[in-house]
Formats: sequence, C-alpha cells, structure tokens
Amino acid sequence: MNLDAHAIEAAIKAQIIAIADTLGCDASDLPSDEVIPATGLIDSAGLLELIAWFEKTYDFRVPASELTIDNLGTLSAMAVYLRRRKGLA
Amino acid sequence: MAVPVHVPRVNNNDDEVKLVELKVAVGDAVRAGQVLGCVETDKAMVDIESPSDGFVLAVQGEIDTQVVVGTVLLWLGAGVDEAVPQPAAPVSAGAADDGVRQAPTAKALALLRQHGLRADDVRASGERLSADDVRQHVAARGARAPAGAAAKVVAQATPPSEAGLPVALNGNERGMLHTVSWQRQAAVPGYIELSYDHAAWEAHAAAYGQQHQLLLNPLLPLMAWRLVELVAQQRRANATLVGEQRFEYTAVNLGFSVQAGDTLYLAVLRQAAQRGRTGFVQDLVDLQRRAAAHELQPGELQGATVGFSSMSRWKVSRHVPILAPNTALMVAHTVGADSTGVLGATYDHRVLHGGDVATLLRKLGTVPKA
Repeated sequence: MNLDAHAIEAAIKAQIIAIADTLGCDASDLPSDEVIPATGLIDSAGLLELIAWFEKTYDFRVPASELTIDNLGTLSAMAVYLRRRKGLA
Repeated sequence: MAVPVHVPRVNNNDDEVKLVELKVAVGDAVRAGQVLGCVETDKAMVDIESPSDGFVLAVQGEIDTQVVVGTVLLWLGAGVDEAVPQPAAPVSAGAADDGVRQAPTAKALALLRQHGLRADDVRASGERLSADDVRQHVAARGARAPAGAAAKVVAQATPPSEAGLPVALNGNERGMLHTVSWQRQAAVPGYIELSYDHAAWEAHAAAYGQQHQLLLNPLLPLMAWRLVELVAQQRRANATLVGEQRFEYTAVNLGFSVQAGDTLYLAVLRQAAQRGRTGFVQDLVDLQRRAAAHELQPGELQGATVGFSSMSRWKVSRHVPILAPNTALMVAHTVGADSTGVLGATYDHRVLHGGDVATLLRKLGTVPKA
C-alpha cells in the first residue's frame, strides 16, 4: 500500500470519480483543495460510501467525532489525516 | 426480542401437518424470506419462510413427525445468545392465583399460539382469559406484530419459454422480494405526494450542519427526525393491521433506506423518538456508515414500524416506495433536477386514509420552528 500523499490523493480521487459517475457527474477535474461536499459531485450517501471505502482500503477507523470538514473535507485533507493516523506526519 | 415462527395451516381440514424438512439448525443466521423448512399434508406441501433476518435460537419440531398448526416451530432472535421464551405448551386450564381458572376463549387461544405464549403467562381480567387480555399483555411488553404475517413470495414458478439461465437471488434480493410480496398480498397501498419548500429545509440543514461542524449534509436525518416526531404524535401512522384490528406500535422504529453500492438496505433505528434530535442525527449517520460498509447486524435490518426513503441523489421527480412488512407508511423524498422538493408517501389504506397522509406530509414539508 502506497502511503505517499500524492498516491493517497490519486486513489481517493479515483474513487470519487467512480461514485460521481453513478450519479451522472464528472469529478475528473476535482482539485485537491476543493471542499468535496460543497462541489455537489457526490451527496451524503456517496460520502458515506467514500468513507467506508477509505477505512477498508487503508485498514483504519474514523471515529464519529473526527468526521469533520477539517479532517475529511478535501482530497489533501484526507491524505494528511490518513498519514497522521498512520504515524507518518 | 425473540420472534416465533409458527407451523402454517396448509388447508382448512388439517389441524396437524407433517414436518418433512428442516433446512436450518440452532445458531444458523437466516434472512427474511429464506426457506426454513417444509410441511405437508396428504394434499399439499408448503415452505416455511423466515419472517425476518436473525439467528435460529431454538427448533421445536422433529422431522417426520406431526406438528400442530399455529404452534411455534422455531424461535428467531437478533443475536445467537438471545434468551428463548418458554415453548408454547399445549394450552389448557391452569391454576390462577386464587383458584382454578377456566380454559381461555377460542380467540384467546389462537392469539396465545400466534405469539408463542402460554395461558399462565397472561393474567385474565375475568373468569376466562380473553383475546383482549392477550392483546393487552402483548402490547404491554412491547411486542411486534405477529410474525405469522409473513407473505408467501410472489414469483413465477416456471421459467419462461425463451432460453436463459437461472441466477439465485442473494440474501438482500430475497429480502426485497419478501417485502414486495408482503405489500402485494397483505397491504392495500395508496400513494400521495406534494411539493415542499426545499430551499427552506436546505437552509435549516446548513445552519444545523455549521453549528455542529458536520461533514455530511444533515438534511435527510433532520427530515427523518421530523417524521419520527410526527408519527409519535399520530399513532395510527406507526401501526399495521392484524386481523380486524389496528396494531399500534409502542415504539417508533424508523426504517431508513440506504443505498450501499449495489445493495439497498432498509436500516432500522429502534426507539427513535427517545433519542432526541441531536442523538437521532448522530445515531442515524452512524447507522448509515455501517450500512455503507455492509456492517449492519441482523437486528438493524428488521422491525421497522415506519419508513423514510430518499431518491434525491438520483434527481428523480417521483418515486413510489414499497411499504416495509408490517408498516403502514413509507415516506418518499426527492428533489428533482429543477430543485423542486417532493414528499410522497405510500400508505396502507387499511390503516390510514389520504387525509391523514396529506396532513402529515404537509407538516413534514414545513421546517420546524426552533
């Protein structure tokens, strides 16, 4: 598993693109610092699907209290959060 | 609470049937609609289907023996360690606290068997144990609607003439088949819809989300909470029909549809009205998370007393939902491509009428005052 920040962001973005595609949206231009819920590309159910994938792929658990915009709101925030939880940052 | 699975009646003339097959054993996990076993008479064979998801707690019949129609054949529970109620012994006159009691009435006897109870379990209000005594006992302990209301699956028995391959349904698909079959066979569905002020609800949800620093838009959990508040006040919306009586549930158990990949769950949040708004929103988000990760427990997939379903993510202009078994109301929410908010509801016309539902939807569409 590649835990380089860019690799994490790329993997998350690929997943967002797949989820958005099922909703008829194109997320291929999603920037790293764009607040994902605000884009309208994926809805709450899509975000939950993304988080479930995130936890399973990287084998960790996000506590409910850490389910915030600061931690998981953007691609770069998600990568930073994961690396911090894995003790890499 | 453990759920009884009763021996079905195959025809009017046979009070006993032969248990010819059991496909499950104690400890097995089962899904709603799964075939648990089979009974037969001289004239016919009938499959016994699981009324809900769960685990087999006890088996009270033996293969190749005669079993009495209406008695409890199996007990199901939400967990494997759940206590098994006393088996339903043949009901006869028993000693009351203060002397000899006469046998229960025929209706009471039928209800006792339906709920897996013994006559001694229920206090009689008069000389004989009556059906009302049993109903009050069941209501007092927060019982579910009788599991015997399970519907036989509606499906074509023989394949079509054109070439093709049969593909077995998975557990969730069988559950959906069971749900649809229940509505088709047991309910008398009606449908009503009206538009609502989506922008006002969105603003309300945005303010709440900002106040609580939420990542996820709380719109649907907040609307679901409003539904819970409303049906807690309007008990007939949180009910089903049993025989010729309305069975009003004690608790509001909200069934909330969650699409997780290819799987559609109706995740159930029990005792919803007791959680308060903030607790409800948190608990519903947690339930949705576990549904999205396919981590729901059997007990979280059964026992809905009212339902809420949204297809706003698909931007459909209308969807007519299916009632969950033993419920009378399933609210359907959507927001069309033109941002028009729509609230609809499928309802069991045996329990609710259109005016009830329209009034409830109109209240639901109005943002509650702080």
